[in-house]
Amino acid sequence: MALNLTINTSNPPLGALLAAEHVKSSVQVSVEEGKDTRLQVSDAIQFNDTNSISRYLARVAPALGLYGANMMEQTEVDHWLEFSARRLCGQPGLAVALGELDKALSLRTFLVGHAITLADLSVWAALKGHGEWPSQGKSFSHVSRWFYFLSSQVPF
Amino acid sequence: MPMYQNGEVDPAVKALEARQDEIMRKLYELKAAVEGLAKTVTTPDADLDLTVSSSLSSQSLSSTTFKGAVTDLDTLLGKDLGALRDIVINANPAQPPLSLMVLHSLLCQRYRVLSTVHVHSSVTGVLPQLLSCLGPRHADSYARHMFQLGFTLIWKDVPKLQMKFSVQNMCPIEGEANVARFLFKLLAPYPSDPALATLVDSWVDTAFFQLAEGSAKERSAVLRALNSALGRNPWLAGPDLSLADIACYCCVLQSGSASSAPTNVQRWIKSCENLGHFSPAKLLLQ
Repeated sequence: MALNLTINTSNPPLGALLAAEHVKSSVQVSVEEGKDTRLQVSDAIQFNDTNSISRYLARVAPALGLYGANMMEQTEVDHWLEFSARRLCGQPGLAVALGELDKALSLRTFLVGHAITLADLSVWAALKGHGEWPSQGKSFSHVSRWFYFLSSQVPF
Repeated sequence: MPMYQNGEVDPAVKALEARQDEIMRKLYELKAAVEGLAKTVTTPDADLDLTVSSSLSSQSLSSTTFKGAVTDLDTLLGKDLGALRDIVINANPAQPPLSLMVLHSLLCQRYRVLSTVHVHSSVTGVLPQLLSCLGPRHADSYARHMFQLGFTLIWKDVPKLQMKFSVQNMCPIEGEANVARFLFKLLAPYPSDPALATLVDSWVDTAFFQLAEGSAKERSAVLRALNSALGRNPWLAGPDLSLADIACYCCVLQSGSASSAPTNVQRWIKSCENLGHFSPAKLLLQ
């Protein structure tokens, strides 16, 4: 089954593209440029927002564990998906959100569990796309450590 | 002192042996008693006091709404460590979480739930219906080991609804949508089809961000989308009721657009209400 992901080139959905990059060994995803971001799954079902696309991609490649290993990890992944979409993307109060993120990362290598999940992908993508992030980096040492650690990995 | 004299056992040794036997017997009894106690704590189903459990079981009739239901909390939440699994929710009384009230009442049909409501010192003047929203205090509430789940609602001045559960492993979960997803998974598994499962999640997001918080324009766009989805299927994610329906129903209700909704949505609101699970949400709105 080949999936077709259309992306809006003026506002590329970084999180969804990262998810697509991660699952490409198990699912075929072709990426096309277009006007709107869209993942067509069937005649009746298509997903237009980054979080839904990421969720779907994580679910078609369950072996990768991008959605967490159990119900509690899934819930944490859901938390971070919303956090990245609502608190980090172009919202005021970035410093407060970064403070919370810093606290969460103080004892962790990855945001959820002990491996990479959608949580890391979406939060990383939201920070990457945020104009204010690099200048704020110095005050949040745990976020910086985590951010540059992920940046050095191949798919990023 | 020789232990044997002329083949006879010293009476002092005999007495000592008898005492030891007695001590061993008492120890065995004690061990059995502790094991019995441990069982009632770690497996809430087993060995409960029958007089109490009969009054509980009348409330824990299994729900027939959701198919393929899982009831084993150990499978879902990992091994029970003997303590009550307490779900603590901080909610702002200015935005009562209707969907969580519905899910709470569904949880009470499935599990023995110890529900409590508190008011944090950061808020004052909480309405009486918010204080009694989880029903009357349970008669056996002193015996925490008899319950499978704790549901503790704290009215608090928080910018966003928050759930704390299993704090050693989990970060606090923010957002009514994510807490609703968590509670729903305790009731029924998500559809195994990735597209359907994601469709459910996508409706949940739409409900909480566009219906509940969006502008009038966004709201009417969602109502149109709901209308066309409900023209194809009886429920939002196909033939069965799902979290998508609970979330959208509660947000339509909260946004006050129920009366002006298009035909299919009106019909679906009726079907939701016929199921009888949604009355806790309506009560909170009054």
